[in-house]
Amino acid sequence: MSKEDVESGLTWEVKANSRHYHKHKQRKSFLCFTWGRYSDNVVRSHKYSLLTFLPLTLFEQFQRAANIYFLLMVVLQCVPAISSIPWYITIIPLLVVLSVRGFKDLAGDLARRRCDSEINSRPCDVLFSQSFMTAQWKDLCVGDVLRIRRDQIMPADLLLLSSSEPHSLCYVETADIDGETNLKYRQALGATHNELTSHPSEEALGAFNGVVLCEEPNNRLYTFRGQLQWQGECFLLENEHILLRGTVLRNTDFAYGLTIYTGTDTKILRNCGKLRVKRTQLEEVFNKVVIGIVLSVLLAAVLLAIGAGVSSYQAMTKTSFLSALVIDGKPAYNGFLVYWSYIILLSPAMPIALYITFELIHTIHSKFIGWDLEMYWQQTDKPAEARNTSLSEELGQVGYLLSDKTGTLTQNRLLLRQCCIAGEVYGDASVSAEDVKPMDLSWNPFSSGGLRMFSPTLVETLRGQRCPVTTQFLSALALCHTVMAEWKEGSLVYQAASPDEETLVGAARELGWVFLSRTRDFVVVSELGATRQYQLLALLDFTSKRRRMSVLVRDPQGGLKLYCKGADVVILERLQKNCPHKESNEIALELFAEACLRTLCVAVRSVPEALWEQWSRTLALSAAMATCERDTLLEKLYDEMERDLLLLGVTAIEDRLQEGVPETIALLQEAGIRVWVLTGDKKETAVNIGYSCKLLHPESRLLEWQELREILQSADPQVSFFKAKQTELWATHKEMARAKTSVVLTGPELAEFEERPEWGASFMSLAEQCQSVLCCRVTPAQKAEIVELVRKHTASITMSIGDGANDVNMIKTAHIGVGLAGREGGQAVHNADFAVSQFRFLQRLLLVHGRWSYRRISLFLCYFLFKTCGFALVHIWFGILNGFSAQSLYETWFIALYTVFYTATPVMCMAFFEQDVSAESSLKLPELYKSGQKKELSSPRKLITYLLYAVYMSLVLFFIPCGVFYNTDYDYQTMAVTVSMAATFAVTIEIVILTKYWTKFNIAALCVSVVMFFICSRITHSTRLFQSSPADYFFLGVSEKAFIDPMVWLTALLTAWAAVLPSVTSHAFSVILSVHNKHKIHNSSPPPVELRSRFARGSSLRRSSYAISQGAGPGRLINSTTSIQRAEVLKEEKVSTSKKL
Amino acid sequence: MVKEEQEESPNRPDNTAFTQQRLPAWQPILSASIVIPMFVLIGAAFIGVGVALFIASRDIQLQELDYTGDDSAHPCYKCRSSTEKCTCSMTFSIPNLFKGPVFFYYGLTNYFQNQRKYGASKDDNQLYGDLDYFKDPSSSCDPYTRDSRNIPIVPCGALANSMFNDTFSLSHVVNGTQKIVPLNGKGIAWWTDYNVKFRNPSVTPLINAFNGTKKPTNWPKPIYELDTTDVYNNGFINQDFLVWMRRAALPDFRKLYRRITHDDYVNGLPAGNYTLTIEYNYPVYSFNGRKKVVLSNVSWMGGKNDFLGIAYIVVGSMCVVMSIVMLIVYAKFKFAEDD
Repeated sequence: MSKEDVESGLTWEVKANSRHYHKHKQRKSFLCFTWGRYSDNVVRSHKYSLLTFLPLTLFEQFQRAANIYFLLMVVLQCVPAISSIPWYITIIPLLVVLSVRGFKDLAGDLARRRCDSEINSRPCDVLFSQSFMTAQWKDLCVGDVLRIRRDQIMPADLLLLSSSEPHSLCYVETADIDGETNLKYRQALGATHNELTSHPSEEALGAFNGVVLCEEPNNRLYTFRGQLQWQGECFLLENEHILLRGTVLRNTDFAYGLTIYTGTDTKILRNCGKLRVKRTQLEEVFNKVVIGIVLSVLLAAVLLAIGAGVSSYQAMTKTSFLSALVIDGKPAYNGFLVYWSYIILLSPAMPIALYITFELIHTIHSKFIGWDLEMYWQQTDKPAEARNTSLSEELGQVGYLLSDKTGTLTQNRLLLRQCCIAGEVYGDASVSAEDVKPMDLSWNPFSSGGLRMFSPTLVETLRGQRCPVTTQFLSALALCHTVMAEWKEGSLVYQAASPDEETLVGAARELGWVFLSRTRDFVVVSELGATRQYQLLALLDFTSKRRRMSVLVRDPQGGLKLYCKGADVVILERLQKNCPHKESNEIALELFAEACLRTLCVAVRSVPEALWEQWSRTLALSAAMATCERDTLLEKLYDEMERDLLLLGVTAIEDRLQEGVPETIALLQEAGIRVWVLTGDKKETAVNIGYSCKLLHPESRLLEWQELREILQSADPQVSFFKAKQTELWATHKEMARAKTSVVLTGPELAEFEERPEWGASFMSLAEQCQSVLCCRVTPAQKAEIVELVRKHTASITMSIGDGANDVNMIKTAHIGVGLAGREGGQAVHNADFAVSQFRFLQRLLLVHGRWSYRRISLFLCYFLFKTCGFALVHIWFGILNGFSAQSLYETWFIALYTVFYTATPVMCMAFFEQDVSAESSLKLPELYKSGQKKELSSPRKLITYLLYAVYMSLVLFFIPCGVFYNTDYDYQTMAVTVSMAATFAVTIEIVILTKYWTKFNIAALCVSVVMFFICSRITHSTRLFQSSPADYFFLGVSEKAFIDPMVWLTALLTAWAAVLPSVTSHAFSVILSVHNKHKIHNSSPPPVELRSRFARGSSLRRSSYAISQGAGPGRLINSTTSIQRAEVLKEEKVSTSKKL
Repeated sequence: MVKEEQEESPNRPDNTAFTQQRLPAWQPILSASIVIPMFVLIGAAFIGVGVALFIASRDIQLQELDYTGDDSAHPCYKCRSSTEKCTCSMTFSIPNLFKGPVFFYYGLTNYFQNQRKYGASKDDNQLYGDLDYFKDPSSSCDPYTRDSRNIPIVPCGALANSMFNDTFSLSHVVNGTQKIVPLNGKGIAWWTDYNVKFRNPSVTPLINAFNGTKKPTNWPKPIYELDTTDVYNNGFINQDFLVWMRRAALPDFRKLYRRITHDDYVNGLPAGNYTLTIEYNYPVYSFNGRKKVVLSNVSWMGGKNDFLGIAYIVVGSMCVVMSIVMLIVYAKFKFAEDD
């Protein structure tokens, strides 16, 4: 490796066909040490092996503070000197918790293992000493030469050496990388193509000994820098030469590639981001509260221990009957022991059962999501799926929805819905595409269906050849494009880089103008059955700056024609004077824009022979020029040719939205969720979709980078933002007052944020006032950065939704990631927390399941906190009256069974079934969702209120029975049973108050729990158990006596009622006040969602564009000669300057 | 046809009320017209119970005699610091008939029988009559497990060691002569304690079981001599011992000593003067404790207890007050809306 290479950053060295060399340097790891340079091609997402499972799972589980805490409790309880309750009370639940969790992890890991091994054992052909052998993906090594067959997935990042197609072209589908289904072209270097395309190719490939020097592995999907050193020459390598892992080879029999990056070094895996364990905010808040409880317990124990020391001292000096019990006669030591005893005694305040119950509830909620018939998609036979079972309550708190566009909002299916030819509009966009009657096209042998435009008049006009303009229009559609035609199984298949072109050519084919094939110089078209050959003289390619493309052809009669199609603004300014139908076409443009269709203008020009001759001479000259000079000249030349056009008509294409997308977005926005769109697509397309899915209001103002930058740079972004808004208001019509602002950004602009981190906060505060934010041309990593930005600067829950591998990173970064289970091999789904089949299912997922889940879990946590703290804190008060001796006020069995049998099931039933409003009402009243965003039920304040309530309950639970039994002959055990009874009653009344939805399970659980208390008490106090172990069942006969004592009952009832009185009262007040509130809600119920946009007639809101997925059109490829230098391809426009409104 | 498809697909979720979360449920719709009357009703019920309790408690007669003797004028003052056997007597009069059956309690204050170590300082197996634990009592009895010569103590532990050992006799002054009121010591302990929890070892005579053991250090006589007259009231099943061993809940407590159920006193104590004679042994002055004798009768609710009745009335009144506040709030909103 030369010094120069290091400086240029090309430090990654790959030697072709030298497996031994690379194998030696393969990355290996042992424990936490790794060495070696090249990663292997094995996917390892599993964590455990047979040996490491037990230690690892225990290690992980004991990272959870609660488990450590309980383990400590068990240890403490084993020390006889401080054991205030026996050790088995804690260890049994702890073991259950650990093993349940362990088995769950193990099952998940086994599933991952299966999934990994499926990927790792996929076959691929590797060249071993001049012949291809089938190997598995995991055996691949950097430097291997591979043969990829048609429809195979690339196992690693490859350098394309040659392919079975002419010029070593090959087509790849990148659906798993960026979600786009149209094919992309890749072409091998001329040198490798020429040298390696021999038959059989094995020999040449086996002898190939080039060395690739390139960048270190990185996550930039669209760029690649490197060079191939071979035969003493050095060739520059570009992204066009690279086949990325995860892409699929299409329409190409074989492609040969050199492995450059493997495994974790590949670009797509570099883009995947780190797997992070997602925890819900509610859980975090709750964990903090639990830590708070533990600290308070420790503090209380300190105070009690001091009390114990003092009382021991008093006992020593005064109380003869107790003095001997002070160990070693040291009050301080006694206090120290009592400290630990109190920690044990108060530990039930933080119940171990909570975490296991919490998980159970999450699991059931996730099941409910999978069971929902309304989220089941019949067509693909897929129900919704909660892949991460611990996030369900966050679905009820989402503040930001960040959505991918292609495949998520749109179906990635374009349809020609309307067109306007010679001023005549054909087709009706108000009929939805599914309802369009199919036309009778049986006369056309090439028709394959799929035209969603009903217009018999157009067909008649065409077949009768009555109108020359119409004929020309169809010819233009059939000729002016860069589509490739291919015969596949007896039918004609089009391959296009632009889905729009594919649609238009397909539509022309349905109408009888069939594009049959193309060679370098000719285009063959069948016009109503008559095959005609057009000579292709020039192809004036599309760029995002030109926003049009043209072909110059010589028709069979010898006439020269320029067919041009492009965005309306560009075409309209190039029309000849007094062009007929211009006005009617403009009206049609308005009409199509209103229906949110994407429009293109089609025009023609008859070129005089003389002009062509002169023009072609200049063009030939340009070939010899330097790149930059040539570009200017070409631009000028093209401009000369594309003028004096005759407008033929307008096409209107519908970018099919997924079902119910506008309704869903409107509903979610009403629910207070901010919807952002992040897409790799062009700005024009993104904005267009933004309008059609009602994300952008037709009147909303788009705030673009220039303006945004100024606002952000100004001293006070808020002020200048409002100023900008205000001037807008002053300047425009009053109608605009209601208009909102949306921000439109592109990837390169976003990159500036990285350099100016201080902008993040002010940008977010602006964005919060905006209707929406659209980010276009962003890479997967940038998508994740945006999510990170939102997470960092707002307290809201973010949710990402996407369907492609390019969304994986953002899905992983967001609080909640949703994968759209549309197509095969859903990378997104594998990494998502939830998988749904349709975008509109988000409505139910968020507003119904999310809202319910949030409510249920919040109530559950508050109640759980209340019932355990209220019950455990009693010991603090009892300590005052028993000399701070850590005497338990309950029987040990009651402590053990209280959380499990006596109080667990009713709250679990509530957490399973509770519904404050029905699913239908949840969808009808989206504003109900806002309470989750505001964290009304789970705020720390709410939890603290419940804690205070628990403290109150513990006071009541102790002091009322204390008052009753003071100075009477009631013994300690009777009082213990009375307090237990009161505690059970109180928490039962509390759950009755909280439950609003009483299914038979709730009622049964409630009855069983209370009955359980009486039965279990009688059992643990029974003679038989006492006789088997007198030390463990020493409450013999207490309940027998207490349960028939009216004083015990009266005391328990009074205590229970007094304990829940604050809660009952506050609920009663809320009932009384809610009568008032309900009235309010009723009055202010929102107007029905208006889905048709309100267009002011005459407003110029045309959106005409031409969708090409990445950069310039492939026209150059079509025109190319074999010696074409791909490196010269125009650099794609980074910043599109044009903007439409 | 659609139905066939549904049956075919195993992925299709079941359409049951449970999975679709459409379980039939009762959703009580609460309103002010339910809540407010409910509060009034509950409040009224609590007040009713409270009044009943209060009346029942008021009707109970109670005679309390403090014999701690910290006042030099008190007859028991002399016994306070005496180390010898000391007897003192107190006289009191009962104005009206003290309805029977009359319960005779002794009471202690500031006495922490609910102290954890104190309460645990016993050996349940020993008290269950298991001879193995006579030889080797549980360490929970420390430091009252063995005496200075390492002989095991039976019954071991602080609880037994500190057993209350004052004795009382009550005499009625009839025409200037003292007439002993018979005190019934049977059935004052819990049935389960007497029959199940505590057992004498099945050795006759009982004394043989205690060979090689020592009496608790504070006791004047060993456990098998607590009541030599009655086999069924001796040893571990001695009623006074059982009553003592059942720990009190709180530092101020009473324990049943005897019942007055015999002879002329079946219907209660007639009006007149009585003399209580106390054999004063138990020291309480070191920890500011007090000792008393309580005579009381019982009602349906047990002994005298004003607290519960008052607490019921207070909580009931709070409910009623709340309902009034709710009514005001409700009316306010109602009128505000009407405007």
